[in-house]
Amino acid sequence: MLTIRNLMVFYENALAINDLSLKVKEGEIVGVIGSNSAGKSTLLNTIAGLTLDLKIKERRKGGERITIMGRIDYMGENITDLLAVHRVRKGIILCRERHPIFPESDVMENLRIAAYLRSKSHLKRMVAYIFELFPALKDYRKKRAGFLSGGEQQMLAIGMALVAGPKLLLLDEPLLGLSPAMQTRLVSAIKDIRKSQGVTIIISEQFARPVLPIIDRGYIIENGMLVLSGTGRELMENPEVKSAYFGV
Amino acid sequence: MLGTIIIYGFINSSILVLVAMGFNLTFGISGVANFAYGAIYIFSGFLTWIFLNSLGINYLLSIFLTFVCTFLLGYLIYRFILLRVRGLSLSEVMATFGLGLAIMELFRYFDFVGVKYSLPVFIDGSVPIFGNYVDYQRLIIGIIAVAFAVAFYFFIHYSKVGLAFRAIAQDDVTALTLGIDPDRIGAISLALGSSLAAMAAIVILPLGTISVENGYEVLIDALAVCIVGGLGSSVGVIVAGLVIGYVQTLTANFFEPRWMILVSLAAMALVLVIKPSGLFGKQKELEERV
Repeated sequence: MLTIRNLMVFYENALAINDLSLKVKEGEIVGVIGSNSAGKSTLLNTIAGLTLDLKIKERRKGGERITIMGRIDYMGENITDLLAVHRVRKGIILCRERHPIFPESDVMENLRIAAYLRSKSHLKRMVAYIFELFPALKDYRKKRAGFLSGGEQQMLAIGMALVAGPKLLLLDEPLLGLSPAMQTRLVSAIKDIRKSQGVTIIISEQFARPVLPIIDRGYIIENGMLVLSGTGRELMENPEVKSAYFGV
Repeated sequence: MLGTIIIYGFINSSILVLVAMGFNLTFGISGVANFAYGAIYIFSGFLTWIFLNSLGINYLLSIFLTFVCTFLLGYLIYRFILLRVRGLSLSEVMATFGLGLAIMELFRYFDFVGVKYSLPVFIDGSVPIFGNYVDYQRLIIGIIAVAFAVAFYFFIHYSKVGLAFRAIAQDDVTALTLGIDPDRIGAISLALGSSLAAMAAIVILPLGTISVENGYEVLIDALAVCIVGGLGSSVGVIVAGLVIGYVQTLTANFFEPRWMILVSLAAMALVLVIKPSGLFGKQKELEERV
């Protein structure tokens, strides 16, 4: 479904992604594990087209700091130069880190905004599914999103990404800053999304422990480089992964 | 006396709200302070006049054509002038201000001066309210301001474009990840803002003649209302419009009409000193805009 070949991303002279290649098959949950500033967000932003968007904005202002090299193919099509908006139309939906929601709008309005490219019937169907997946949100329909707790905001953010109609869902550190109980709920929700909606998922995390049980394959990245890859089970049993990313 | 103040205060407030709404809409959504706003206002007035008098098109159709032209003008200003300097606030202000000056002074250069440049009122006559005779045009201004405020609320909260406006105003990157194109929405916000300037011009200008000076006055009024209300806040525009409108009417009644302009300038200065973000404004944190 997604093939990345020799991707390199520079911010001025700093190398954020270094010669990275990876593959994601349809229906998989793939984990991208790495510490802070390893390049996880840059990788997901580049897949979603946000890095390209930033590059274009900087070019307009007369300075260009960002260089993107390599090639990204999605469903048999080269999307390396495709604008972010068109990638969304094709079903690549990114849920950025730190629960990206519209704080001044209520929960329902957030979901309606997310349906910008989709039909009313799709919105209705997805809202029913989201309220089934996260019953807490149902009670807060009319509550301003900015007043929700961190975990509820993350649920809403994932709900919005679902309303946007993903075929490939990119979740950037969805568990960041959440309590272990909330993390468990979200992880099981993510599993359910793949199963019932047939969505392919890439999930990035700093700590491997909560996500390793649900991922089919994982990539460990350090300083923008791929250092290790394998199935969820292989990574779980790898002593290096255990010491570096299990937080023990 | 009280009746006069209530009615004329309300009409004066309606004029201010109508004048400020378009400026506020564009700023609230795309962050562009459109300093060509006053120029677009008189452009709409003169254009309607040209359609009506030089080309002999009927009034209603002239108004419709003016709306279409100002919408396009706003869209083109964004696409061809603002897009290149997006995000550089000072350049945006200079570009729109320069363009505004050019448009207004071109009208002066081509001799669009004199009493013949006036638009007919929609309906002749007046009606007594609280013992005061109010002409229909002023009544229409009040009705349109209220109807517009209600329609605007529903448009922003329930239409797809309106929701996209709200999304971009809150967080443009998150909006982008949901497929909302900030450049397209920015262009539409400028186009709609310009059409609102046209709407204000078409209902307000029949009260007097169209002159280049109107353009400068309208820009000052729009700025005053928006700064007092808090840039980007619709509720702020309505409240500030009412406050400034009534204080101006009181000033005209108890002192002299020529001091009315001082009210908006003083209100603007006062707010900038005491609460620079305005009554209902929220200064966006820098991190939110990046």
